[in-house]
Amino acid sequence: MAKIKEEKEKLIDFKKIGAIIQKNFIVMTRDRIRLLPLLLFPIVMILVLGFTSGNSPKHIPAAIVSYDNSEMAQNIQQQIYDSQTFTVRYLVSTEDEARKLLDSGKVGVIIEIPPKLEENILNNVPTQIIVIVDESDAAVSATSSQTLGVIINNAASSITLQKIREYQQSVDYAASSLGSFASTQRNQYDLIAQETAIASGYLDNAQVLNKKYTDSLTSSIPSSTAIVIPLNSSIGYKNTTANLSNSDVIYAESSIALQAKGQVASMQKSGALISAASSAVHAAQSVATQASKNQQLIQRNYDSEVVESLVTIRLFTKSSAENILRPLSVENKPAYGSGLKAIDFLIPSLIAMTIFQGAVMGMGRSVAGEKREGSLTRVFLTPTSNITIIIGTLSFYIFFELVRAAFLLIFSIVVFHITIQGNLLLIALILAMFIIISTSIGMIISSLVKTEQQFTAMAMLVSLPTMFLSGVFFPIQSMPKVMQSISNFLPITYAANALRGVMVKALPIQMIAYPLFILLVFLIITTTLVLTVFKRNIE
Amino acid sequence: MVNNILEIKNLTKKFGNFTAVDNITLSVREGEIFGFLGPNGAGKTTTISMLTTLITPTGGTATIAGHDLKDEGADIRSIIGVVPQSFSLFPELTAQENLTYIGKLYGMDIKKIIERSEYLLKQMRLYEHKDRVSGEFSGGMKQRLSLAASIMSNPKILFMDEPTTGLDPQSRIAIRELTEELNRQGMTIIYTTHDMEEAEKICHRIVIMDRGKVIADGTSDELKHKIMSGHIVEVELDSEPKELSSELKQLPFVVAVHHSGRLINITVKRKEGVFFALSEFFRKRGLSVEEIRYKEPSLEEVFITLTKKDLRD
Repeated sequence: MAKIKEEKEKLIDFKKIGAIIQKNFIVMTRDRIRLLPLLLFPIVMILVLGFTSGNSPKHIPAAIVSYDNSEMAQNIQQQIYDSQTFTVRYLVSTEDEARKLLDSGKVGVIIEIPPKLEENILNNVPTQIIVIVDESDAAVSATSSQTLGVIINNAASSITLQKIREYQQSVDYAASSLGSFASTQRNQYDLIAQETAIASGYLDNAQVLNKKYTDSLTSSIPSSTAIVIPLNSSIGYKNTTANLSNSDVIYAESSIALQAKGQVASMQKSGALISAASSAVHAAQSVATQASKNQQLIQRNYDSEVVESLVTIRLFTKSSAENILRPLSVENKPAYGSGLKAIDFLIPSLIAMTIFQGAVMGMGRSVAGEKREGSLTRVFLTPTSNITIIIGTLSFYIFFELVRAAFLLIFSIVVFHITIQGNLLLIALILAMFIIISTSIGMIISSLVKTEQQFTAMAMLVSLPTMFLSGVFFPIQSMPKVMQSISNFLPITYAANALRGVMVKALPIQMIAYPLFILLVFLIITTTLVLTVFKRNIE
Repeated sequence: MVNNILEIKNLTKKFGNFTAVDNITLSVREGEIFGFLGPNGAGKTTTISMLTTLITPTGGTATIAGHDLKDEGADIRSIIGVVPQSFSLFPELTAQENLTYIGKLYGMDIKKIIERSEYLLKQMRLYEHKDRVSGEFSGGMKQRLSLAASIMSNPKILFMDEPTTGLDPQSRIAIRELTEELNRQGMTIIYTTHDMEEAEKICHRIVIMDRGKVIADGTSDELKHKIMSGHIVEVELDSEPKELSSELKQLPFVVAVHHSGRLINITVKRKEGVFFALSEFFRKRGLSVEEIRYKEPSLEEVFITLTKKDLRD
């Protein structure tokens, strides 16, 4: 029998790496039942997500429970009726009734309008329309809340708009009231002016009379002349008020003079006349002065300032009504050219997620399986170094996942007509890095466990957060802060970012330097860990 | 002059507080079939795993064909073959592919691989099944393929860890025959089993292990005589006799008597003249002896005596 020479163990033996790759290839292709889902899984995912994303559920059978009969509540109900999202099948009066309908599957959603809805909204009290959904359908839940959010906003703002219109009306009314008040005031002023003119006439008569009698007095009693003279120079329409007292003096002094001269009767007659004229002038004068002042003020205020501010108020109320309504109208603007669809954004995350799942689960389970079968032990019994075994095993799965990613890209291009904007080599680089990280994680986990069951349990810890924080199912931005910070520790976040950057936005390498750098850090950590935890020691 | 191919000194393996292998010392000569006998959990597989570099000893040393276990694991791996407890095959690969893959991992060139695998497939009577995937094989076929894979590199020393456990009787016999055949071709074989009969049949020398310790070693005969203070003569009569114990005990060489129907087991001090004296004893009492023979103690009895427990517990 031929003796076989002893083979020394090399650290990295490429022939053996080749043998391991070839073995894994045979295993993979021979196990068709395993191969098929591995290739089909991402396609099914793409199909399901590609055709459902962006298309919210429509015509969800709904039941409405309304505890409020306000205008707003009715408005909301009407909008629910009118919406494409819901088909209102039942209108019930209690939640219990509605719950029975939900239990029996007759409706998929219950919309409950709470008591005092309008009152609360108008008083800025936080108010919630309660949406009760069958939790088994997350899409229904999300869409329902979203649609109702828009509806309640619409309702609230239409009420606000109405209030603003009412306010505008009352402002208009106030303006016209002010206008009519001003014209009344003006009429009054005119009246006063007339009265003043009459009073002035009276005063002129009084002066004529006064002169007449003064002259007659001068001729008869020369001593009184000195007293009368000042009167001549001081009578006038404009100085009515000032002259009033002079008139009194005149009256008094002329009375004394007349008494003194003994011509009391004729003087009394003319004195009464002057007195009447004087008091009429006095009254007319004071009213006229005040009226004149008021009139000037009123005219200034209402004709200019008030009217101006009315214009301002009208403009303001109109624009604020528009401002309140505007945020509610949703506007979709494509950020990167107009040819892109939601699926273009989804595919990078989806590829990253699929690769991660495939690499971790596929290669990890195969290593854990070989552990169970004992075939890994047999490999350990041969003079083959750990590094050679690791490189051989990783190489195959890296190759396999690259093929899978390419397959997925081609499928997406053919079926969904997605457009790849960026550099294909850069895409391959990101994919290769992420695949090495993922397969290493699979290998690390499989090194730490003894059975496939243990592997599956452990792998779930990594793959579930990765799946849900990949952004494929829910947008990361809408997640709670805690979840967002968890995603910072997952390689998929950076892989998906980088892939999206290149595939969708056609970013050059320097623009994705940060995610690439983080991926490199992950790559170094994971491969180092593989080398430390993957041991021959099968304790 | 026979060399020791395997030397074990104070080899110990602890898993936490549990001592699986407790300070064992033994040697195996080149060219022998050496049996590790012991119940499940005795530490046989742990010992084999240490010797085949799969686990690291906690203490002690061992050298295999002059290579130190601690420092020359890679050298050891290139000269040993191991038939692990489970079949340890790649079920998706055919018989031929399994052997080819293992051959490549041993660094054999493809010509040698083809030559050697054809020879082994024929020897293991698997040649006509060489293109079937091994996952479809029966237990016996899997074990024969596993054996073939283990000796692809024509190792100097072959470790077989309970190779017949769980196999049907025919397959067990086949494995035993193949083992003896390999040994005849010069391969040293280290064979663990909990089957006494098997150990007795094929092993040249045996160590009995229990709770991590070697409690006895030697050839099968040596082990048996270690525990025996006399010899047992089994007499089979043609009919059931009346009570003869007290009369038999009066014979000078008789130590003890055990009756069981037509069978009487008599423990005697010496062998000389015993058969004749006993034949006379029964003839005189009108009893005809159908058979009279020495009864050898089984290895199982040795084991029970040594460990105070049944091997199959």
